Amino acid sequence: MFQAPLEKYPVNIREVVLGLGEKAKKIGGENTFPFHFFEGSLPNSPGLALEVLDMQPENWATWALDPFKDVVSDPVEWAKRGVEEYGAEILCLRLLSIDPMGMDVAPEEAAKTVRNVVDSLNIPLIVLGTGTEDKDSKVLIEVARACSGKNLLLGPVLKGNYQEIAKAALEHGHAIVAQASMDANLTKELNIALCKFFPPEKIVVDPTSSALGYGMEYTFSIIESIKQFGLVAKDNMMLMPVFADIGIECWRTKEAKESKDQGVLWEATTGMTFLLAGANLVVFRHPEALRLIKNMIL
Amino acid sequence: MALKGAEIMKKLPKTNCKECGCATCFAFAMKLATGGVKLDDCPYLDPEVKTELKDAMAPPMKLVTIGTGQNAIVIGEEEVMFRHEKTFFHEPGIAVLISDRESESDIGEKLARVKDLRFERIGNVLKIDLLALSNDSGDSGIFETLVKKAYETTDFPFILISEDMDALFSAAAMCADRRPLVYPITSDNVSASIPKLKELGVPAGVKGDSLDEIISVTSQLKDAGVEESIIDPGSRNMLDGIRDQTLIRRAALKKGFRPLGYPTMTFPCFMCQDKYEEALATSALMTKYAGIVVTSLIEKDFIFPLLVHRFNIYSDPRRPMTVEEKVYEVSQPDENSPILISTNYALDFFIVSGAIEEANIPAFLCIKDTGGIGVLAAWTSGKFTGEAIAEFFKKYDVENRVKHRKLIIPGVAKKLKDELEEELPSWEILLGPSEASDIPKFLSEEWKV
Amino acid sequence: MILIGEDLNVMSNAISQAIKERNAEPIRACVEGQAGNGMDYLDLNVGPQKKDPAQTMDWLVNTVQKFTDLPLCLDTTNSVAMEAGLKLCKKKALVNSASGVRESMETVMPLSKKYSAGLVLSVINDAGLPSDADERAASILESMEYANELGIKNEDIWIDPVLMPVGVDQRQILSYMEFIQMIPDLAPGAKSVCGLSNLSYSAPKELRGLLNRTFMVIIARYGQDAAIVSGFDEELIRLNKGEMPEVVDLIHRAMDEEDMDISTLSTKEQEYVKTTQVLMGKTLYSNSWLEV
Repeated sequence: MFQAPLEKYPVNIREVVLGLGEKAKKIGGENTFPFHFFEGSLPNSPGLALEVLDMQPENWATWALDPFKDVVSDPVEWAKRGVEEYGAEILCLRLLSIDPMGMDVAPEEAAKTVRNVVDSLNIPLIVLGTGTEDKDSKVLIEVARACSGKNLLLGPVLKGNYQEIAKAALEHGHAIVAQASMDANLTKELNIALCKFFPPEKIVVDPTSSALGYGMEYTFSIIESIKQFGLVAKDNMMLMPVFADIGIECWRTKEAKESKDQGVLWEATTGMTFLLAGANLVVFRHPEALRLIKNMIL
Repeated sequence: MALKGAEIMKKLPKTNCKECGCATCFAFAMKLATGGVKLDDCPYLDPEVKTELKDAMAPPMKLVTIGTGQNAIVIGEEEVMFRHEKTFFHEPGIAVLISDRESESDIGEKLARVKDLRFERIGNVLKIDLLALSNDSGDSGIFETLVKKAYETTDFPFILISEDMDALFSAAAMCADRRPLVYPITSDNVSASIPKLKELGVPAGVKGDSLDEIISVTSQLKDAGVEESIIDPGSRNMLDGIRDQTLIRRAALKKGFRPLGYPTMTFPCFMCQDKYEEALATSALMTKYAGIVVTSLIEKDFIFPLLVHRFNIYSDPRRPMTVEEKVYEVSQPDENSPILISTNYALDFFIVSGAIEEANIPAFLCIKDTGGIGVLAAWTSGKFTGEAIAEFFKKYDVENRVKHRKLIIPGVAKKLKDELEEELPSWEILLGPSEASDIPKFLSEEWKV
Repeated sequence: MILIGEDLNVMSNAISQAIKERNAEPIRACVEGQAGNGMDYLDLNVGPQKKDPAQTMDWLVNTVQKFTDLPLCLDTTNSVAMEAGLKLCKKKALVNSASGVRESMETVMPLSKKYSAGLVLSVINDAGLPSDADERAASILESMEYANELGIKNEDIWIDPVLMPVGVDQRQILSYMEFIQMIPDLAPGAKSVCGLSNLSYSAPKELRGLLNRTFMVIIARYGQDAAIVSGFDEELIRLNKGEMPEVVDLIHRAMDEEDMDISTLSTKEQEYVKTTQVLMGKTLYSNSWLEV
């Protein structure tokens, strides 16, 4: 009788709670590789989030815009559509308007938008800046304050601005997305720096996502190696759940703009690949891509 | 090779006699480990030791070929569970399924469409590799007609599928010169199949309802001298498929368990009801170890992402991915647009061209072939020097694309600025940002015609 | 270990400027400083030297030899510059370097033979950088065969297994250590050499020396013969001379994973132990490895 070679790991990926109350979503907590229900425990299904912008999208393919085209001028309505019509359990509000090279909206105003969304919907919320360190810092600190106690997930927190943002997140009870660029060593380094003062169970790591055809396999392998360093090598600084922000990357490709089917599959394939590597939280742009993944994995 | 040089060394005479052509036994062991010499080259090996070494050195997963010549599909001989541990070696074969129950015209159309599913991406050809021809009609004559038509109008290798052994092997005999895979070989038909498999010299597609059953069949085949098998654990859905594929590969690679030391095949076409789910299941199984995926999909929008996905996952992480050397036009530049230059390392290319697009300022991006290595390393090894770039300018007629004479170079390449000022005296060399993410800012603030 | 000083390098603005302007003074300071610190060889790194390779090398070698009698290691990918330098070296020179890449074997190896110089031979070949110890072994066997056929003896070959930055690929460090232990059996009579500073390439500046020194002690124990190092790292030179036996002993014990209560050690000793653990692959490298 063949004995299946099962593997057991002695540690767990940390569990991170997003949001509050009965709609709160837990991610992480697993003690085995993704979908390995046959040899370990995965208490929490991956978090699947839908993206919302705080301004009207520019240059989106028609079919990317269609699900929300009549509500894109109002982030609250957009968010509601995502939850009520498309069944999103987590939302990701991307504050594109704060881009200093774009509309350069002030921190207070951006924070107000976030607060409006929070007030209108009781649902776990991810809030992302644009990756410009100084501006993101100011905005996310203001968002933290304006939504104190709401347990948002704020990011991206970077090597250049983690001190201020994490401090504000700690003070106001939020979790953070720690982002390093495609490098397990840098991921570890940022975690070490953060964990000097910030609780590890409120950190989610983002190794930076690339779309199918544009570097997806680099992200895939980094996520797989992060899981290995955590579960197999038991590296305490690599046991955070993994975040993958894929909608924005996939839909900027020319392939996604060629047809609706190809676009949705471009995003769904990228998402599926990262989930197979071990991503615990994925942000989608198209509700059909999200639904497709949800049906396959749940 | 499964054995490391140092382990092989333990079994050698250690006399350093040099009769094998190597200076020391250690050298011989190293060359053996990487396939540079043959075991037979050592005249002093005990025959028992030789057999022991030959078995131990055999790769933990068999290499199997379907098809012949330049259309042959080669799968197996994988060495790792995770591509970052080394690399995945052989891309899975993607087979389009055609049933003999389909109408003649549908079949004709499908065959034509599959041939068209061919695309080029950064210098590589991505395409469908196999046809899976299925005897669903129950009629061996109809099956043969399908196989004959596919054989005459295409040059794909085949996976022949039939529950009727006679129909299966008769079809196989018809196209034996293209070395088809015959499926399914099960515990019920294995004894009767063996003589036919050996006669035709074709690989066996083994199916079992359990791993124990598969093990029994592959063992019988191996004992009888049928070396090449591909195994189907009969997974019913994607998650089961992931489990089965993982356990089989682990058994082969980590336990050295020979009866499961074969590449695998999966049928995502039977796992899902809707074509979107099928596309996802297919890509998931390719990521998770499947050697062959059989799909019912033939539309470009569904197949193209799968082909790119396979290409990405099976790229060698140890070798930098490269893009074609040329002058790329980002966002339709004109004669007043800025010119930037960088190396052909793919990831850098995506980041830099992405940053330029984000800046919304049309530009020319000159990409110089440096074998995929980055700016500084390429400069040091002479591939990205002033001279090399001046040659590029001539070759691609850069001067005639713009009215101005300004070139933006990567900020880290300070040494390059002096060299270029000498090689291209009529050009002003601007040192760009060190980080690609600063390109939008640089272009909007610092670029003026 | 034989130490080859690396500081005469065009990546330094001061040196590249001095060479460009034919200004001997900065060269003198660099040469005398390194020689005074006890280097055994001096590396002259002129990069690809596309401009006036022969003249530049002539000037540089002549200038350097005014200030020292130490043998020279000529470091350039430009064969014209290499040959010009070799002609002028008073002592037996070291050619840095040839590799298993066909073009390199065909153009560089004959130069070292012609001028009876030593040859640094890298494991890189036409397939690129070998990914593990066995692949390095296969590569070096082939290129050494070629060298031997040209009449270059093993004793004149200095094998460079190519040291990668620990922050780029930590596993390559383990492959490196595995490989140098194979060299006596693989290539009897040949020496091993490496560019030690490559190890710490991506690390925080102030910690680079610690990484380099620790690794030097580790590979010395595995039989490493030579290293290209900073000619101005005093502690490294002292370690190499045997003037810090307690540190060496501590590193060896950490290599052997001996039980030790790290909290009883001084800060400096703790740093050496933690660094050893990272280099031996016990834990994933990060730039903050000392803070864990």
